[in-house]
Amino acid sequence: MSEDFKNNKEIHAQSSETISGGTGGSAPDLDYVRPAEVSDQDLYHGHSFITKWVFCQDAKIIGIQYFCLATFTGIIGLILSWLMRLQLGFPEAAGFMTAEHYYQFVTMHGMIMVVYFLTALFLGGFGNYLIPLMVGARDMVFPYLNMVSFWSFFVAVLVLLASFFVPGGPTGSGWTLYPPQAILEGTPGSGMGIILMCVSLILFVAGFTMGGLNYLITVLQARTRGMTLMRMPLTVWGIFTATVLAMLAFPALLVGSLMMMLDKLLGTSFFMPTILKAGEVLEYGGGSPILFQHLFWFFGHPEVYIVALPAFGIISDLISVHSRKNIFGYRMMVWAIVGIGALSFFVWAHHMYVSGMNPWFGFFFATTTLIIAVPTAMKVYNWILTLWRGNIRMNTVMLWCLGFIVTFVNGGITGIFLGNVSVDVPLSDTYFVIAHFHMVMGIAPLMVIMGAVYHWFPLVTGKFLSEKLGKWHFWTTFLGAYSIYFPMHYLGFIGVPRRYFEMYDSPYMTSAVGMNEFISLAAFLVGAAQFILIFNIIKSLKTGKAAGKNPWQANSLEWLTPIVPPEHGNWGDRLPVVHRWAYDYSVPGAKEDFITQTTAPSEVTDTKVEKT
Amino acid sequence: MSGFIKKLFGTLIQKPWEKEQMAIDSLDEGRAFDISSQKSAVIIIFGIATVLFSLVFTAYLYTIPPEQDTMYLLKPNLLWINTIILLFVTYFFGKITKDLEKKETLKIKKNLIIVGALSYLFLFGQATFWFQLMKSGNYVSTNTYFSSFYFFTALHGLHLLGGLFFWGKVTSRVLKLNNDKILDEEKNISALSLYWLYLLIVWIVFFLMIYLFNDSFIEWCKSLIS
Repeated sequence: MSEDFKNNKEIHAQSSETISGGTGGSAPDLDYVRPAEVSDQDLYHGHSFITKWVFCQDAKIIGIQYFCLATFTGIIGLILSWLMRLQLGFPEAAGFMTAEHYYQFVTMHGMIMVVYFLTALFLGGFGNYLIPLMVGARDMVFPYLNMVSFWSFFVAVLVLLASFFVPGGPTGSGWTLYPPQAILEGTPGSGMGIILMCVSLILFVAGFTMGGLNYLITVLQARTRGMTLMRMPLTVWGIFTATVLAMLAFPALLVGSLMMMLDKLLGTSFFMPTILKAGEVLEYGGGSPILFQHLFWFFGHPEVYIVALPAFGIISDLISVHSRKNIFGYRMMVWAIVGIGALSFFVWAHHMYVSGMNPWFGFFFATTTLIIAVPTAMKVYNWILTLWRGNIRMNTVMLWCLGFIVTFVNGGITGIFLGNVSVDVPLSDTYFVIAHFHMVMGIAPLMVIMGAVYHWFPLVTGKFLSEKLGKWHFWTTFLGAYSIYFPMHYLGFIGVPRRYFEMYDSPYMTSAVGMNEFISLAAFLVGAAQFILIFNIIKSLKTGKAAGKNPWQANSLEWLTPIVPPEHGNWGDRLPVVHRWAYDYSVPGAKEDFITQTTAPSEVTDTKVEKT
Repeated sequence: MSGFIKKLFGTLIQKPWEKEQMAIDSLDEGRAFDISSQKSAVIIIFGIATVLFSLVFTAYLYTIPPEQDTMYLLKPNLLWINTIILLFVTYFFGKITKDLEKKETLKIKKNLIIVGALSYLFLFGQATFWFQLMKSGNYVSTNTYFSSFYFFTALHGLHLLGGLFFWGKVTSRVLKLNNDKILDEEKNISALSLYWLYLLIVWIVFFLMIYLFNDSFIEWCKSLIS
């Protein structure tokens, strides 16, 4: 950990009642803000190593803990993907791997990446670190609950990883965990593997609910004076809306996991129809496997946006800061985030077109799916229009932003293919689907994470990351990712099925063999390139250039703490007072090309408002 | 509700960059609703629990075989007694709310203890009912009708136990406080009262579903969602 974190100064949270309404500007009426009416938050300040760094109640430390643990699980997911690609590209070199191993790796890779890496990192990592800072709070409203949230996640990860070491290994039923096969003999990990997976998911949901309560109430009820909802940076809007989605979608995963555990352990038949096995009728009967699919995807599709919405919010802020322009169509961006969030609960069955549904049902879900493209496209246009005629800094952060836009558009367009029932049916369960969702909710959010890491690293540590290493990291990842997923679209078109351990002597394999080898090589390279970031972080912590206060000349509150990196309590003796939104960049008449959110109107009287 | 929707849309159409709006925004105190954080938490938990129980109910309707006797569970007396106990809990919470208004602190202590005792009695009654069911040969794996009953009552019981955990914390604090300080706990007590009211609503919805919804009604519901 950086030396910059060793701040021994104690903060005693004081009541804001003592703060006067004015801010000391030359024109008190112009700068008037409402006097504080709510007493300041009392915080628990840890004094020992354990209470400061392990069982810590500071949202920033909890955010870093989430970030590190999610990254750790992400690396495990990455290694699993390498093993899968080794089998697919070079099966002769993967002699140690059986078909059972392959299915287990596929399952664990999927679940780890979606839930334990992306969700935990965006909401737990960025949410905890940024929400209190960006809304001007000292901490989350329930810091103790926040700490319990992280440790529930920690235990969930332990339970998940424990499944590698139990008899039969982890579940190999695919990340969707469809019953009845997930709990019946013959499927890898149908014993302890699936039970531990369900227990882990239940712990994750319980832990996330505690964290989510904090995110929602902090945003709604604990903002600083002057920070209206519509003055909040889009990062907060994205994380806030994604949390609402998670709170409404995760119960479906919880119910599904609980019911499946009961089917497995107590012999209930929630998801189990009458089954004949080797001529014998099993004791199950009367349940519906399709019910599990509905429950899973009622969680699973909003889950896509639980990952995407924070990414949308973060990328909006990064683009605005690094192109020195106010975000184009701020209100439209907020509406789009809220609209996408609401619509995401009406599209889940587009994952089930081949389950034998009523055609009208499919028609309904195809329509709602395609409607989501409208607010999503609005966001893309607005990002581009924000860049348009901006004073663009072509640094590593901006490269990740541009990489995200291109990748998201690519993945989004193939989503329009798959949203249509008639196109989806032949493409279902092929590599086209793999290519689509990896582009849109794998690589695209990953690019946002990388951009965010390069952007906020100076805030967290007080040091810049190396730009040179950052550019190597970006280009290898960007070009490598396209080398992996572009060819996969072709594989899908020629009908190569997903979830196959090997392709045998299928006729389409003539062109797919070489392509699989190429994809595997690219996957090894892209995976290895991620270690450039880890090297960059370690190197920069030791020898990186000092960043100082507000190095990107940003407007939002997280950069305006009295001490950087911010200490526990964030704001020293006085909470900040907000006078404007977070996007006053390159305002005509202003001395500098940014006006921070705490700048009083009397200090910038000659500025003109730009229409947006 | 209409006020909430008006507020929501009123917020979303603001133009924070304009000078007139800036002057209005500077008066903002940073709170969307005039309620305590505890009450906000309880309301959000209601949202989550509503989704959870709705999914359980939907799953019940989705899987219940038409040939099953959906009136069976209402025949034993104990289920009715348990329902009455839960109604009494809500009644006593109502009394606590009035006691808070009248500042009758001694009664608050007494009624809080009654509420806890009745809640534990309800849980005991539910557990006894489970034993009665099992004694009659109806286990969790007997069929989806009984599976759903056991599953729902277990979830509802866990929900109640969660409430009892916080009831224990609040009550132990209230019992230790001097009478003049008890009113400081009003936020926590009213959050608990809201929590128990929700528990009753969920129970009644469930109760009505297994009692009123006969086979033909279930068939109609299934035709809607399948």
